[in-house]
Amino acid sequence: MGEVILTMKGIDKSFPGVHALDHVDLEVKKGEVHALMGENGAGKSTLMKVLTGIYKKDSGTITYEGKEVEFHNTREAQDAGIVIVHQELNMLGHLTVAQNIFIGREFKKGIRIDDKKMNEEARKLFDRMHIDIDPRETMSKLTVGKQQMCEIAKAISHQAKVIVFDEPSAALTEAEIEELFKIIRDLRDQGLGIIYISHRMDEIKVITDRVTVMRDGAYVGTLITEESTKDDIINMMVGRVIYEDPKTKNMTPPGSPVVLKVEHLNAGKMVQDVSFELHKGEVLGFSGLMGAGRTETMRALFGADPIDSGDIYVNGQKVVIRSPQDAVKYGIGYLSEDRKRYGIVVQKTVAENTTMADLDEFSNGPFINKKKEKEVAEKFVESLATKTPSVDQLVVNLSGGNQQKVVIAKWLTKNCDILIFDEPTRGIDVGAKNEIYKLMNQLAAEGKAIIMVSSEMTEILRMSDRIVVMCEGKKTGELDISEATQENIMNMATREIS
Amino acid sequence: MANKTASKTAGTNKSFIDRMGGQKFIVLIIVIAMFIFFSAMSPQFRKYTTVVSILDYSYYIALMAIGVTFPLLTAGVDLSIGTGLICYSLIGGYLIVHQGWPVAAGMLVTVLLGVAFGVINGCLVALMDLPAFLATLCTCMITRGFGAMVVGGYGIPWPTAAAPGGWFRSIFKIQIGGQNIPIGFLWIILLVIVMSFVLNHTKMGRYTRAIGSNKEATKLSGVNVKFYHVMAYVICGLFAGLAAIAYSAIFATVQPGSGAGFELDAIGGAIVGGTSMTGAVGSITGTLIGVFVICLLKTGLPFIGLTANWQQIITGFVLIAAVLFDILKRKREAGK
Amino acid sequence: MKKKVLAVLLGGCMVAGLLAGCGGGNNGGGSDSSADSSSDGASSGGGDYHFEVVVKSFQSTYWQAAIQGIDAAVEELGVTVNTTGPNAESDIADQVNMLNNAISQNPDGIALAANDQSAVLDSLQDALDAEIPVVCFDTGVPEAPEGSVIATIATDNESAGAVAAENMYEVIKDYIANATEPVRIGEVNQDATSANISGRGMGFINKMKELVEADGKTVAVIGNQYYVDQVENNGDEASADVIIEVAVPAQTTVELSATEASNIMNKEDTIAIFGSNQVTAEGVLTANQNLSVLAATPEEGIVGVGFDAGATLKAAVADGTLIGAVTQAPVDQGNLAIHALYDYCEGETVEDIATDSYWYDAENMEEADIAPNLYD
Repeated sequence: MGEVILTMKGIDKSFPGVHALDHVDLEVKKGEVHALMGENGAGKSTLMKVLTGIYKKDSGTITYEGKEVEFHNTREAQDAGIVIVHQELNMLGHLTVAQNIFIGREFKKGIRIDDKKMNEEARKLFDRMHIDIDPRETMSKLTVGKQQMCEIAKAISHQAKVIVFDEPSAALTEAEIEELFKIIRDLRDQGLGIIYISHRMDEIKVITDRVTVMRDGAYVGTLITEESTKDDIINMMVGRVIYEDPKTKNMTPPGSPVVLKVEHLNAGKMVQDVSFELHKGEVLGFSGLMGAGRTETMRALFGADPIDSGDIYVNGQKVVIRSPQDAVKYGIGYLSEDRKRYGIVVQKTVAENTTMADLDEFSNGPFINKKKEKEVAEKFVESLATKTPSVDQLVVNLSGGNQQKVVIAKWLTKNCDILIFDEPTRGIDVGAKNEIYKLMNQLAAEGKAIIMVSSEMTEILRMSDRIVVMCEGKKTGELDISEATQENIMNMATREIS
Repeated sequence: MANKTASKTAGTNKSFIDRMGGQKFIVLIIVIAMFIFFSAMSPQFRKYTTVVSILDYSYYIALMAIGVTFPLLTAGVDLSIGTGLICYSLIGGYLIVHQGWPVAAGMLVTVLLGVAFGVINGCLVALMDLPAFLATLCTCMITRGFGAMVVGGYGIPWPTAAAPGGWFRSIFKIQIGGQNIPIGFLWIILLVIVMSFVLNHTKMGRYTRAIGSNKEATKLSGVNVKFYHVMAYVICGLFAGLAAIAYSAIFATVQPGSGAGFELDAIGGAIVGGTSMTGAVGSITGTLIGVFVICLLKTGLPFIGLTANWQQIITGFVLIAAVLFDILKRKREAGK
Repeated sequence: MKKKVLAVLLGGCMVAGLLAGCGGGNNGGGSDSSADSSSDGASSGGGDYHFEVVVKSFQSTYWQAAIQGIDAAVEELGVTVNTTGPNAESDIADQVNMLNNAISQNPDGIALAANDQSAVLDSLQDALDAEIPVVCFDTGVPEAPEGSVIATIATDNESAGAVAAENMYEVIKDYIANATEPVRIGEVNQDATSANISGRGMGFINKMKELVEADGKTVAVIGNQYYVDQVENNGDEASADVIIEVAVPAQTTVELSATEASNIMNKEDTIAIFGSNQVTAEGVLTANQNLSVLAATPEEGIVGVGFDAGATLKAAVADGTLIGAVTQAPVDQGNLAIHALYDYCEGETVEDIATDSYWYDAENMEEADIAPNLYD
């Protein structure tokens, strides 16, 4: 770690009705990876937006390279060498990799954009990062992991001195995260200051040098990572110890019946000959790398994508599922990995979302019974401990964890006995994560059968009774939790690749 | 080394059709097939004069379509170009015919009016965040009323070819030895080349596409999104102004109150030519080819004896097919 | 926040602008005529009647000519008149609205050129209940409530079409008489739905058929089904001496009219063509720009006949590109409508009037009874 490159002191920012940042401090040194942690809504993103000029601070000072600065837009911040790698990938899917990297500062020959030079420069950047991406490839054709690498390449190309990573690992597989960490360490060794925002406690321990924790818009404290434990950090974030260790034994009651049996399921390239069984009261984990075909399997099972061949049995009865309506009819509920796109209607209220899958139940003829809708929604808000001022609140105003609870309520309303959780805690902070886990365990104990697709190894090991591992569209292994380790799961997940 | 192999595979993955320009290539084949079909079906169609007529009636649509491709690429649209065209042409013609302005000055006003309304549309959409559909629907109504109001409801005949000041008609068509030569087509080709360059090799074009692909990301990349978003509509307005000149030069009288529906031919042409309504995908050459599908349908269907209702039904189906093609293509790519 | 307020303000301005624009246009036109008339009315000391006039569209040349006639009547009779009309003839609901407004002004009479013959029926009943006399001009309302419409002043479109046929036949009859091969006469009609256009179109077809058959030749009418179906004793296309081909464009644009026209004009056996209103007649002229086939006699090329006026058509008639055209009498109609209302108020009986349509060609277009009806 070298000298201090960036100091934010006493940063204060209010929005109408919200005191988003309350005198927050942050200090970043050259050659360090500095974690910025806090639950969702703690103000991390707001702080970064103040730093890069997207928001204007109400008070406080930003000192960068020894001078007080104030950026008015991202462009100014970029030019000064402060760049954000955003959580939602900020890519232009229709443009090429090189065009994305150099957008806003194209090389030109006269008025003509010099694409050839841009491709060359992009290639040099990738060489520097030791990764192999064709700069001429259309962005949308790359995997999420590669797209992230392009984002990083773009950041580096700004001659960045400070790079902010906003939850870079959220959409990456373990292997891709390894590659990301290699690059981050590389950048650190070159003397850049790195701000790393993440929810994943394991990563913080692995990659960062110091941790600054925020809570409810306020600065809580800064720790040196090596000298602190996970529990220390979590305590600062939420004020209570919540971390649970991996499950060690299968909690499914012995002899519980098979509620779902899938045989030789084929659906496109990503689902090839997948078979598995799901028992009542069980949490079945689906592990694998990004693109292993787990989500595709679930979508096919749920009728969202067409099935080429294969048999599905629900409670021993063979069923044909051609559409989500069919799946719901057989008691299968699906909680999509992308809540905002598939799970909820953000501009509708909690009550409306809760009853969406089963509106017939709440209607008298064409009219919706608002009173009944409200009652049921309130019941679930209470039983799931959803934090919302009322069921009339728009879902968009809830935090990620509470949005997830609304989705769960939606399927519980429908009395689904088989629930598929696809990445149930993506983008949800630690405190809320724990609540979702508790809820899943509770549901399993009540006799629901749960499939959980997750890319987070700790989550798989903590929640699953059994684990199915997939790789490149095929099932490559099945383990009981008692025999599962991170290593043997990874082996199965990479079986076909290596 | 590794990079080279990567790029090579990227090249060979593409199908023959994709390498030839994808939808554009297919549509070009369709244009040729349509021409052959209509020629075979109707002896009147396969005459030189008919070809000249098709070209004559295509200029204003092609110009509008080149322009509207830009808003379409930003995932917007401009519905005001049809009534706008008539408005600009009425006012320009009014100045020439009733106020005694020189033809060149009237033409300049016509084009500048297009640019002005382009600025208005751009500001409404890009600066004030009105939905493009709504904003341009409003300017569509405004231009329709405004043009008719200025000329007081009278049709405006721009000077005929023989009259003084009729020289401007020879921009699009000259007579050599009694034969009409449709030189307007050369201008269209030239403008297609220029605008293709603008779209593919300048910041203007690159950012137009970027806005359509992901406006927020473009903004966060430090691009002056507002400026380029406005400019997409300004280009559209400019070409609506040029289309007004083409319309005035080909047709005798410009009638107030007409023009609604012209924009659909232009937008339809762009979409048939592979421009996506959801933005970012499309090309100027594709648009031109698409316009010829529309123009051939408009001319060819009457020539093979299909009556009015059938013409509209078939044109509707062609548009559905074009949009379906776009959707299927995207689905296939997403499925990969 | 600021931005939103700005957007709302702007939206408000735009709406206000739109309203002002529409209102301004109509009031502007209206106040012109009423301003003229109120001063004249005072000086002439005639009856103090006020009439409301609702035309088909405020923004077309044809209706501007009708308004000329109305203004003339205002001067002659010393009455006041307020004229309104929608932007386009297709704005049916707007016009009904305007008619209702006119009724609520409780004028001494209303002159109406209805865009839709059924949409105005309720309003006419209201007018009857309020005892406001209505004169229909340009277009009649056949199903109007008994007693509501005191008179209809309209072009006899059948005979207007017949006038075109008679004058065209004069030029081509010798050629037909001597022809050994079948010959073709084209007709381009703007639509197959409005009573005026179809009346005109059928008037032309029936008269032409009658004239040709009177000279001992056979006739077949082909093309648009609506028109063909109305022809009585239609001949067989294969054996007929004269083929009348009727075309209707998909939309009422000059371009599509021109396309339909060039299809017919491209055929070797075509000797004459008739465009039955301003748009289709200009379509014929536009097609001719590339074909250059229009001529004064069938021996030289194709004989063209137009309908209505407008600068372009007038120029084409003047220079002989078209051998002539038929014009209606919008000036007379406007004038007669006001006169009819005035007479009714004065206690005289009024009757329906079928206004004349005039044949005009390069020779007679300057004459006093023709020229005023040839609007630009």
